[in-house]
Amino acid sequence: MTDPLESAEISEKPDTQRQRFVLDETGFDEVPKRFRKFYRKWRGPGDSLAANEVICPVCKVVIRSTRELRPGDRIYCMPCMSRLIVVMGETGMLEALVAY
Amino acid sequence: MKSKESGSAAVEVHDLDPQEFLEQVHSFEFWFEAVEGYLSGLTFGFRPDTVDITLPDLDRDRLITVLCNYCVGETAALEGASGLIAIAPNRMAKIFLSTQVVDEGRHLEVLLHRLRMLGVADPEAEMERRANRSLQLFKRRLLELVSSKDWEAAIFAQNVILEALEFTVFQNHARDADPITREVLLGIVKDERRHIGFGENELGRRLKTAPHIRARLGQVKKELDHLVLDTLEETMKELNVDAGEREKLGRSYLEAAARLGLQP
Amino acid sequence: MADFLSAYSIQNWLESCPQGYLEGTEFGHQPGESEPELLAQNKILHEEALRTTVQLVVGERCALAASSGLINAAPDEASKRFLATQTLDEARHVEIFTQRLYDLGVARRDLESVIKQYANHNLVKFAGVLLEKVDKKDFVAGVVGQNIVLEGMAFTVFEMMHALNEQMNPKFAHVLSGTIADERRHVGFGENRIGSLIKEFPGKRPEIERMQKEMSYYMLATFADAFRNNPAAAEFDKLQQPQAHAKWQGVDLAEMPPEQMESVLADTVLKEFKVRLGRIGIEYQTPARP
Repeated sequence: MTDPLESAEISEKPDTQRQRFVLDETGFDEVPKRFRKFYRKWRGPGDSLAANEVICPVCKVVIRSTRELRPGDRIYCMPCMSRLIVVMGETGMLEALVAY
Repeated sequence: MKSKESGSAAVEVHDLDPQEFLEQVHSFEFWFEAVEGYLSGLTFGFRPDTVDITLPDLDRDRLITVLCNYCVGETAALEGASGLIAIAPNRMAKIFLSTQVVDEGRHLEVLLHRLRMLGVADPEAEMERRANRSLQLFKRRLLELVSSKDWEAAIFAQNVILEALEFTVFQNHARDADPITREVLLGIVKDERRHIGFGENELGRRLKTAPHIRARLGQVKKELDHLVLDTLEETMKELNVDAGEREKLGRSYLEAAARLGLQP
Repeated sequence: MADFLSAYSIQNWLESCPQGYLEGTEFGHQPGESEPELLAQNKILHEEALRTTVQLVVGERCALAASSGLINAAPDEASKRFLATQTLDEARHVEIFTQRLYDLGVARRDLESVIKQYANHNLVKFAGVLLEKVDKKDFVAGVVGQNIVLEGMAFTVFEMMHALNEQMNPKFAHVLSGTIADERRHVGFGENRIGSLIKEFPGKRPEIERMQKEMSYYMLATFADAFRNNPAAAEFDKLQQPQAHAKWQGVDLAEMPPEQMESVLADTVLKEFKVRLGRIGIEYQTPARP
């Protein structure tokens, strides 16, 4: 098994070119207060992901960032303690792979 | 414990160093602040003002059977997780597992309390009487793996297989459950997220450096799969879940193993 | 039995511990508190602080292994659930005392080697006697060893250390007061649960009494090592550092030479053992004095 954290191309575009997001509280309450805005529940069919969001494949919560996500970005799912790497999925949507 | 509201907007959680992230999420401090978010104000897993509804006799009886089996699963998880502390390979894992032990103890407690609310006078005797045979066999095998001090196999059976099963079943059950059972189950699911995540990530890291372990885990999975799927099938029947949905839930349980490279 | 154990429920634990005396703390102390400057500046006092904290980590690691190991041996669900909370309490103690080592300047990579360097061999033997019972899944002996002998010792040692540090090191004193609050539950469970089991299994008494005698000896030997070879008091005298009065058990610890402190501590712990063991129907065995 290869570690996507080691093998994936990390996005090289400077941060200034990325869209920035101000994160509001989402009602998610499963991590310490200071981290809660980085996560929200997936609301099922009808819900959609913003450019700064991706679903954790392990525990299915939506992980959020203060910046637009791109393939190669490293993200963390605190509710299930997974390290993940953002990849472009077959459907053209951003997905996350677990980086063990 | 300590609330750190100030300055939170400036911190991007994903910028943490990987080691710092692991130290953080495996700590007692993290657990404390996490559970405070969803257990504060609850008594035995539900809000005191949640109204209990009277269930028809048949539904009540079926719910008792299901909850008794959840108690068997949680007892297995409590005994398994506590036994794993002794063989955990490092301090972080030991401390994380001790938070899991108290989570499992809490699950058992809130489920037993719910059984008492449903009129079961002696929940422990009722558990014995109504326990699913496959689940009992699973529990026995899990505890054998823990006793044999086989860290990888035991953490796989406990935190990947058993936790994934509970996560799937409880989430599904909560959708149509009565208000109190629903709150109790949703609180448990929030804990399970940490447990399945810990198991999968711990094993994933090990498999990366020692891929030969995968064959042994494949054996364990093969041995336990039918017990898990039997239990799932029986529980879902008690909950009146249709065959199509039951198959979907079975698949969801198998996904976690697939991510570790263990194919059905 | 079930009624008394309801006081040891997880619900009770949640309300009294995380939502009670630990609320607002950070690694057991108030946010912003730090170790006194003197400990960083003085090599001898710094080394003694490390040595003392390592013994606490070693003791708590033993307690973590024992309480988690006893869950599987517990004969009833309520005891299993209480031991689950105790397991987490012990893990918290491991974490906060380990954090104190970091606060005292130990690098994370050096943690295990520092523990190995300073761990008292008599304390390790003390732990070994207990963990042997736990390994054999002997619940009655295990709980007496853990919740009466080990926790009884810790309870008294922490109280004395708390008195010594209350004015000189409020950060450490706060850490200790939270652990003392935890220990209170642990010793309470030990006495209340085991009392009935001893009545049920009177044949276990001789073996438990032997264990208590052996553990008590290693405990006294640990105290002897800690006090008789301790240069901290002499260093305080040399520095002419005024020592705050520390009243404990009716004496002022600040005015005592180390060997007298050892004697007060040993006598207090042994007296406590005798009383507690007597209450559960075990005859206290006087250990040899090292």
